[in-house]
Amino acid sequence: MTETATPTKPKKPGVYVCKGCGIGEAVDADALANVAKSEFRIQTTATQDACCSDEGVAAIKADVDAGTVDGVVVAACSHRVMADRFRFNGTPVVRANLREHVAWSQPPGEEDTEMLAADQVRMAITQVQLTLPPLPSQVQEYSRTLLVLGGGITGMTAAREAVKAGHPVILVEKTDQLGGWANKWAGRMPYRPPYRDVQDSGIAKLVEAVKADKDIDVKLDTRVVKTAGQPGAFTVTLSHGGQESVVNVGAVVVATGFRPYDATKLGHLGYGASPDIVTGVELEAMLKAGGELKRKSDGKPVKHIAFVQCAGSRDPDHLPYCSSVCCGVSIKQALQITKADAKASAYIVYEELRTPGTAEEFYRQAQEAGVIFMKGKATKVDAGAMQVSYTDELLGTEVPLAGLDMIVLATGMVPNSTDPDVPVVEPEKSEAQLKGDINPFSAIPVAGYKPGGAEGPTPPAMPHLDRIPEGGPILNLQYRQGPHIPVLADGFSDSHYICFPYETRRTGIYTAGPVRRPMDMAESAEDAAGAVMKAIQAIQGSKMGVSLHPRVGDLSFPKVGHEKCTKCRRCTVECPFGAIDEDETGRPIINPARCRRCGTCMGACPVQTITFDNYNPQMVNAMIEANEIPDEFSEKPRILVLACENDAYPALDMAGINREKWSPYVRTIPVRCLGSVTLQWVSTALQKGYDGIMLMGCKSGDDYQCHFVKGSAIAKERMSKVGETLKSLALEKERVTMAEVSIADSHRVPKVLNEFAELIGGLDPNPMKGF
Amino acid sequence: MSDNKKVRMTYYPGCSSQGSARHLDESLRAVLPEMGVEIDDIADWNCCGASVGHIGGGQLPNLSLTGRNLAKARERGTQDVITGCAACYLNTHGGNEKIKADVKKKAQVNEALAAGDLKYDGDLKVRHVCEVLVNDVGVDKIKDRVKNPLTGLKVAGYVGCQTVRPFAQTQAGGEYDSYDDPNFLDDFTEACGATAVPFQNKTSCCGGSVAVMSPDRTLHLIKNILEEAKEAGADVISTPCPLCQTNVEMYQDQINAKYGTDYKIPVVFYSQLMAVAFGMDGDKDAALQRNTNASDKLDKLAKRGG
Amino acid sequence: MTAPLPNPGKKYDLDFARWVYDNVNGGDKMALCMQCGVCSGSCPIGTNMDHGPRKLFMMIRAGMQEAVMTSNTPANCTSCYRCVVRCPRSVPVTYILQDLLAKQAELGYRAKDSNENIAFAKSFWWSARAFGRTDERLVTAKYYWSFGPAEFWKRSMENLKIALGFIKKGRMHIGMPHSVKDKKGLKAILDKAREIESRG
Repeated sequence: MTETATPTKPKKPGVYVCKGCGIGEAVDADALANVAKSEFRIQTTATQDACCSDEGVAAIKADVDAGTVDGVVVAACSHRVMADRFRFNGTPVVRANLREHVAWSQPPGEEDTEMLAADQVRMAITQVQLTLPPLPSQVQEYSRTLLVLGGGITGMTAAREAVKAGHPVILVEKTDQLGGWANKWAGRMPYRPPYRDVQDSGIAKLVEAVKADKDIDVKLDTRVVKTAGQPGAFTVTLSHGGQESVVNVGAVVVATGFRPYDATKLGHLGYGASPDIVTGVELEAMLKAGGELKRKSDGKPVKHIAFVQCAGSRDPDHLPYCSSVCCGVSIKQALQITKADAKASAYIVYEELRTPGTAEEFYRQAQEAGVIFMKGKATKVDAGAMQVSYTDELLGTEVPLAGLDMIVLATGMVPNSTDPDVPVVEPEKSEAQLKGDINPFSAIPVAGYKPGGAEGPTPPAMPHLDRIPEGGPILNLQYRQGPHIPVLADGFSDSHYICFPYETRRTGIYTAGPVRRPMDMAESAEDAAGAVMKAIQAIQGSKMGVSLHPRVGDLSFPKVGHEKCTKCRRCTVECPFGAIDEDETGRPIINPARCRRCGTCMGACPVQTITFDNYNPQMVNAMIEANEIPDEFSEKPRILVLACENDAYPALDMAGINREKWSPYVRTIPVRCLGSVTLQWVSTALQKGYDGIMLMGCKSGDDYQCHFVKGSAIAKERMSKVGETLKSLALEKERVTMAEVSIADSHRVPKVLNEFAELIGGLDPNPMKGF
Repeated sequence: MSDNKKVRMTYYPGCSSQGSARHLDESLRAVLPEMGVEIDDIADWNCCGASVGHIGGGQLPNLSLTGRNLAKARERGTQDVITGCAACYLNTHGGNEKIKADVKKKAQVNEALAAGDLKYDGDLKVRHVCEVLVNDVGVDKIKDRVKNPLTGLKVAGYVGCQTVRPFAQTQAGGEYDSYDDPNFLDDFTEACGATAVPFQNKTSCCGGSVAVMSPDRTLHLIKNILEEAKEAGADVISTPCPLCQTNVEMYQDQINAKYGTDYKIPVVFYSQLMAVAFGMDGDKDAALQRNTNASDKLDKLAKRGG
Repeated sequence: MTAPLPNPGKKYDLDFARWVYDNVNGGDKMALCMQCGVCSGSCPIGTNMDHGPRKLFMMIRAGMQEAVMTSNTPANCTSCYRCVVRCPRSVPVTYILQDLLAKQAELGYRAKDSNENIAFAKSFWWSARAFGRTDERLVTAKYYWSFGPAEFWKRSMENLKIALGFIKKGRMHIGMPHSVKDKKGLKAILDKAREIESRG
């Protein structure tokens, strides 16, 4: 990239008011142009029939090219549409939303509608005047190599996929051979048509292919000692036979898989009381050994076998979740036994059978072959009588299956989000780091910072926090926020499994396979390919110095004004992604490639010295102040809505598209994330005379919908302290509120706004008006 | 089937043709040729096994009864075998399909047949008369033959079970109507110029052989059928099934005694209605004299001595 | 011939389900039962049964041998085939029940309500084997007689009116039974079939 002249903020922006899509009928476009002229001394203003038309765009472009304007305000539709039309060589462009938020959601021609439109223009002009075109973060040396951790089916598939896409791979496996669990499997569930018969695991072939691939550097018997750096430039220290070596990689795929649930905790199901009560994994090894299936105790052939499904799964005392594969595995094993011995009776005792998609074919095949399925919960396993008792839901009675030759406990999967073979260093700290980071309502306790506080909300009970799989960190990250990859519910790595699979809360590090959620071999292989694609994007993005998911391509990144920084550490503590480290003196150091640009650090900073070139506390402050506040006698209250641009703002746009109406007193400013909202904006608004303030953002908690994981939860915590500010201004508590909305809430958002407007209308006007 | 085309089929009368359902057999023999279906009986035919043959005699002996009938039928060539009896159809059609599909069964049946110097290769088609009337003859042709329309006669069409179940919607069964709500019987009624009354119980069970062996267990089933027919204002109940005809007709006194009702509803075969509607002889062809509950209305419509 | 039950007389038997799958006509298809209950809901006479077909099938899976082999469910089946055509998994319910009834009798279980079915089936088969045809008159008489002279008399009297009516209308004949001509050949076939079946 060539170095260009230092960019500056626009000094002579142009304002272009659109009359299309009903805007011209709803408001007086010339009057709006006049606002720009008279209030902001804007030299270049124009009204257009349709700004997005070829002529409209050409006219703006002509002004930019001629140097008449160095910033553009398009007062037309939402910034969420037509973004590609209004792009002029990096010249800052700001959109005033006159369509969805004015023309389509307000009655035309009314005074309040005109006032709203004028404020939209004022905020947009203010914003463009304070926008510095961002330059990419400095491009460091970067590596195209991927580190894949784990040599099972997921890791090996990931390695192969990466090589196919042109990236060399270092594949680290801690044991002395590739293959993982699959080496121990006696075949696998069918993954190819007709999906009816047990198939070969195919693992041997995959191992051979990986070994033969010159672009895959297989490191067996090797562990990761520590990992430092950022996407594009991780330095990973490996240890092999006591010898340490350092490799540079651009991104990491973590495919550490799972460990079976510890069956010794299943004494109530008879485990340990008889050698003939085994886990599914143990039976698998016996089947893999081949030959006639015999009892461990006396070598007699197994003629009657019962599988107890959900052994320790979906059980609040053990694993509260479903591991999804155990049903298929038991069906496979029962089918293998039934097919090998036509006289054998194999019972599968299940509560609900999970056979999604093509697995239904496999299930049917097992039924046809004579596997016997019993619906009910196993209530007792008697090792002496070799009896499984269960409550048959379809008979409504307790049924004893007595005199069994073998009982199989179908145990679930525990994610290897920690390494069971690595000792937990400083257990207390590790636990605090992990748990603190998991719970979106709590920050990591560090010296000088106390989360919550006297008026803070009590963090909700999250029992799953006690279920972090035992072990040390798998990558041992040299990050300020600790060595772990954060986990969420039940110890699986924290990534939104529907919206953002593979993402972790450590940028450039992606999880795949059962460490992410329980899954079978076919799913793991697919998962590996997905994670590799994300890892390659990470390398590409860091090479260009742009943001990755979810603000893909964003050039801006947070900058710290060190002269003002008080070293309070709130930014380092609250960053959901561990992007900020500290130097020896406690000053924050931002790693731009790890940063997701949510602005949570900016919202955290008590002295407002963390800024983005195109988004910062000062800019939003000015936008809040730019709006005209009618005096207290006008009976026109003003409500400031700070709306998350990921879900809340689109929901409002859609409400406009659906022609839903809402209060004309609302002034909406999109924010990157509620995590970026600083309390200063709230106090500015209150002092300016706004009567009510609403933060509108995503759901928080362990079923969060926040694109930045913790942003909305952190905002919630911060807002709990706003009471003091209100008290100091002698204002009612209800004036500041938060609303959780999702992107699908377009029908609900107008209601939310109107109810709040009604509540505010019932209060006296803010006495600070015109102060 | 074009208007005057005739087809020959091998006819399996079944045991009830010599007893309780003589009027089905007699009326079929009268009307089938009228509609272009010429029939030759299976030589020295035997019992089909009915609903209980396999219980009394075993699965394979029961299937061998069908094997023998079809071996005898095959001696006439490959023309289709037809029967008007629901149970005969169930056993013979079902047995035939089993012999076709199951190589082992076919071999076993033939091993048994060999003891009587017979063999059967599974190359016949066994069909129900009603299916032939729907698929081959067609309702229009039935209408064409009507010279004495049964105007004003209200008929509750009671199909019963095995005439349609379990084969009416299968490919081998000719896909001629539905299991639960068949229309063919009402179509026959209307073709004869009579009025088909709506009848919900058209495929409800009469109790079958259980009604024969222990009426007490199933009289309530028959009562439901009679009750609806009466409420619908039916002059007669029409059925294609010998056992349905017998059960619904003969138990009316016992039902009246048990439930305090006064049913005396005539139950006739559709083929009897056809014979009357075709202007044939009420006794010789329609065999009306064999019904224990006579229908005055139908009797009056019938031609005699023609 | 039916394979003997693995553990006769035992209340629960782990081998029972597979025994049914392997030995009862249509039993292999029973394994596909998904317990929806359409069969029981469709049954015209389900109220007479101690268990509907759905439940009976689940009892078979649960190994409840004794309860299944003494159940009156098979005896009450009227062979209407409603369950067969409605079963979403194509389980031939009627066929299974009929053969279960035969197995109950064959293996010496005295299932509730099954006396009449078994006596009727035996009387019927006697006629079929002896004459090649069902003589309704003789089958009924023999059936009544199987309960003893008193019961024979009682049932005959109860149904006398029906019989007389039939005789009058020519639907029940007096005289020699109807018969196939080749009685010897037919018997040979049936006896051979029985022999094949018993050797399995």
